[in-house]
Amino acid sequence: MISDDDLLLYYYRDGLDAAERARIGAALSEQPELAQRMQGLVARLDAAAAMPEVPVPEALQQRWQDALERAVVSKPVARPLRAGRQLNYGWLAAAAVTVVALIVFQVTTRPEPERTVENPPEAPADTGEASAYERGLKWHLASTEQQLAGLDSAKPEERARLIETIIAQNRIYALAAERAGEPQLARVLRAFAPVLEGLEHGDSSGSIAQLTFELRVMQGRLGAGTASTNTESTTL
Amino acid sequence: MRGRRAAEHVTFSRPARPSYVLTLLKPWARPDAFQTVLEERSVRWYNACLRITRDADLAADAVQEALLKAWHRRGDFRGEAELSSWIHRIALNAAIDLTRRRKTRAEDDVDVDSLFAEPASAPEGEYTQQALGKDLEAAMQRLSTRERQTFLLKHIEGWRLDEIAESLQTSTNNVKSILFRAVRKLRVDLHVWRGES
Repeated sequence: MISDDDLLLYYYRDGLDAAERARIGAALSEQPELAQRMQGLVARLDAAAAMPEVPVPEALQQRWQDALERAVVSKPVARPLRAGRQLNYGWLAAAAVTVVALIVFQVTTRPEPERTVENPPEAPADTGEASAYERGLKWHLASTEQQLAGLDSAKPEERARLIETIIAQNRIYALAAERAGEPQLARVLRAFAPVLEGLEHGDSSGSIAQLTFELRVMQGRLGAGTASTNTESTTL
Repeated sequence: MRGRRAAEHVTFSRPARPSYVLTLLKPWARPDAFQTVLEERSVRWYNACLRITRDADLAADAVQEALLKAWHRRGDFRGEAELSSWIHRIALNAAIDLTRRRKTRAEDDVDVDSLFAEPASAPEGEYTQQALGKDLEAAMQRLSTRERQTFLLKHIEGWRLDEIAESLQTSTNNVKSILFRAVRKLRVDLHVWRGES
């Protein structure tokens, strides 16, 4: 039995050792309901965490600008030099320029080096490019597309369960989109509901094709790179 | 990570490198680079700090503190990540520190409504959506400061557990426990979904 706590750590790719990760990864690929459970949990957390961005008051932005400008013009604290050891900054600058020139020469004459970095800091997960709900949404869209592709081969009860899951998750992401200040996206997601419900009642494969197309368009707009990675890793 | 976090607390009394050498070697150390990221990313920094502190004044202070700290320490920044991401991280740490310092203040006297803007209109009059939305708001409010911060740092900011532990000055195992507790509270509080696995 895999707990929700472990599923969550698996989703975060953190806090599990390699053996645990392998065990959960295998279970996810063998048990679609487990994958759905994880996706449902993440969707709920995404919805809980989604918040509209508050604009920065103009006065506050100005305050930060002023503080930065003051810091820029203020002189750094200089350490008093001992008598007789006056530094000649002209020489320092010349030395620095020489060093830079040497480095540039070395780099430009070296054949296409591998980019190596000393102790590269792990880039913060949120590089400002996507919020958690955006990442979750991409993942949801990608996995929905996969689930739709598998609908035809699913048994009737399994098909109904899958569609219900998709509808429920879709509803959560619509809410998350609304809370994140994206009403248009929320409306698009809600517009999927009647089509999905139609599928539940045995609608044609034309609806699946239409939905798949819409999903791909949305993924394209959102930049679906993350979703593909996540989907592959969770084998949803 | 320990080194990185520790480096954030370097005092500024070291002799500064001559600025012309610094800007020659590191273009992000120029004032205009800071001005640019301030204009482009301050909304995101501010909102991230606001989520952590739930206090507009503290969030504003955290951003300013991060900005100045980053400027004074620009020589330490190696340019391997985005300048804005680096400041974002410093701002979050500042927000946590400021919250900790003001911990004596009651947590609940914050105007939470200002953080959660109501939708302009209730589309399609979906009662369920509204009910769930209110439940979500209530659920976040019921988390303790530490639970909320842990959850946000992990789920939104994507920090590693050990990074969160360091910032919150606790152990990784404790962070895990806090995170699980926060998630359980959030799930239990989502009444619409109660009864699901």
